[in-house]
Amino acid sequence: MKDPYSVLGVSPNASDEDIKKAYRELARKYHPDNYHDNPLADLAQEKMKDINEAYDAITKQRSGTSYSGAGGAYGSSYSGGSGYSGHTDFAAVRDALNRGDISRAEQLLDSASNRNAEWHFLMGSVYYRKGWYNEAHDMYRRAVSMDPGNAEYLQALNYMERGGQAYRPAGYNQSAGLDACAICSILMCMKMCCNCR
Amino acid sequence: MFGYVRPLKPELKVLEYEQYKACYCALCHCLGECYGLFSRAFLSYDFVFLAMLLWEDSRPVEYKREACVTNPFKKCPSCTRNELFELCAGYSVILTYWKLRDSASDDAFGKAAASGVSAALLKGAYRKAAGRYAEFDELVRANLDELAALESANEPSIDKAADRFAALLAGAAAHIKDEARSRVISQLLYHTGRWIYISDAVNDIKKDCERQNYNPIALKFGITDGVLSENTAAELKLTLTHSLNDISAAFSLMPENPWHGILKNIIYLGMPEVTRQVFAGEYEDIDYRLHIKK
Repeated sequence: MKDPYSVLGVSPNASDEDIKKAYRELARKYHPDNYHDNPLADLAQEKMKDINEAYDAITKQRSGTSYSGAGGAYGSSYSGGSGYSGHTDFAAVRDALNRGDISRAEQLLDSASNRNAEWHFLMGSVYYRKGWYNEAHDMYRRAVSMDPGNAEYLQALNYMERGGQAYRPAGYNQSAGLDACAICSILMCMKMCCNCR
Repeated sequence: MFGYVRPLKPELKVLEYEQYKACYCALCHCLGECYGLFSRAFLSYDFVFLAMLLWEDSRPVEYKREACVTNPFKKCPSCTRNELFELCAGYSVILTYWKLRDSASDDAFGKAAASGVSAALLKGAYRKAAGRYAEFDELVRANLDELAALESANEPSIDKAADRFAALLAGAAAHIKDEARSRVISQLLYHTGRWIYISDAVNDIKKDCERQNYNPIALKFGITDGVLSENTAAELKLTLTHSLNDISAAFSLMPENPWHGILKNIIYLGMPEVTRQVFAGEYEDIDYRLHIKK
C-alpha cells in the first residue's frame, strides 16, 4: 500500500488539522460532481478511493483505536454517471450508455426511425459524452420542448445550462480575480510611484 | 497553430516568466537546428504549452545560456534540448506546413499566394519532420482533409467541424505508453483543440462574413453581418465553458511536473481570459505578446 501521508501530500509530522485540510482539498478536487458523465470519471474515482483510504489509515493510526471510515463521507456518490433507466423505447441504447459504449449507442440511435423526445434526449447524452456540447444542448432542448413534463430531460438541460463544474485551486477563481485591465492600470500606477526602471 | 493558448502574464511569477521564456527559446533553438531558420518564424505559444504538458513529472528541467537568433551578441537562458523539445518542434513544423497548404488553396488570392510560397519554403523542413513523426503527419493530414471536406460542404455543425481539429490535437498524446496518462492528456488536448477551433471561429466571424469564407458559427446561426447576438454569444460561451471545465478536470488528474505553476496559470487564468477577449472583440487589440526580448 502507498504511504498514506504521501497520498495526501503532507508530512508525517503534520497536525491533525493540516491533514484534515489536505484531505478536504483533495476530496474537493476529485469530487464526482467534477466528473459528471466525464470519460475520465473512473480515474477520478480511483484517486478518491486512494485518498479516502489514506485518510482512514492515518486517523486510525493516530487515534490508536479502531476507527470506522470518517473519509467515507466523500466519494460515495460515484455511481457511474447519471444512470439511464426508467420507462423506455430505447432499452438497448440506455444499456449501451450505462456501459459507456458510446459508439454503440450512437449507432443504434442513427438507425432508429422513432425520433421522439426520448430519442433526442438520448442523442443529447451521446453528444454530451463525446464532448460535443453544442449539439448536446440542441438535443436536450428539443427533447424538453417535445415533452416538457419529463423530469429526466429537464434535469439534463438544466445541468447543461449551468455550465457544468470543475475544480479550481484557491486563488485561481475567475470571478474573484481582477481583470487584466485593472491589473495593468495598477501596474502602471505603481510604476509611476516608484522611480525605478 | 494559432497562439491562443497562453499564460496570463500579469499573474505569472517573475521566475515562472523567465522559465516560460527559456522553454520558448529551447523550442526555437530546436526548430533552428533541426529544421532551419525559416521554421522558427512559425513557432506559437500553443507548442510551448504542448511541451510543458507532455513533460514527464520525473524529468528535471536544465538550463543553459545560449545566443539568440534575434541578438547573437547576448546570451540568454534556454532549457537544454531533449527529445521532447524535438518532438514538439517536429509537430509544429508538420502542423504549420499543412495549415499553410490549406490556406494556399482556400484564402483570398494575395494571402493564398503568400501561404503557397511559405509552404514551398517549408517543404524541406516538413519532409524531415514527417519522416521522423510519420504517424502524427498521417493523422494531421487525414483530419485536415476531413475538415476541408466539411468546409466545402458548408457543414453547419460547430461540434462536427471542431471535432476534426480537436482529434488532430489529441493525436499529439498518441505516442504516450502509459494508458491512463495517455487518456488524460488526450482528453485535455481534445478539448484544447475544440476550444481553439471555436474561439478562432468567434474571433474571425466578421472577416469570414465579409469574405464569405466558411465559418460554422455563421452557418449555424444564420449570421451574415459578422455580429453575434447576445443569445448566440451566451450559447457559445456556455459551450466553451464546458470544454474549459473538461480541460481542468483532466488537468487535476495529472501528477505535478516542473511546469505545474505555469500550466495552472495557462489553464485556470490564461485560457478563460482569452475567451473573454475573443467575445469582447479585444483579442487582436490587446498586446499580449510576451515580448520575448533578448
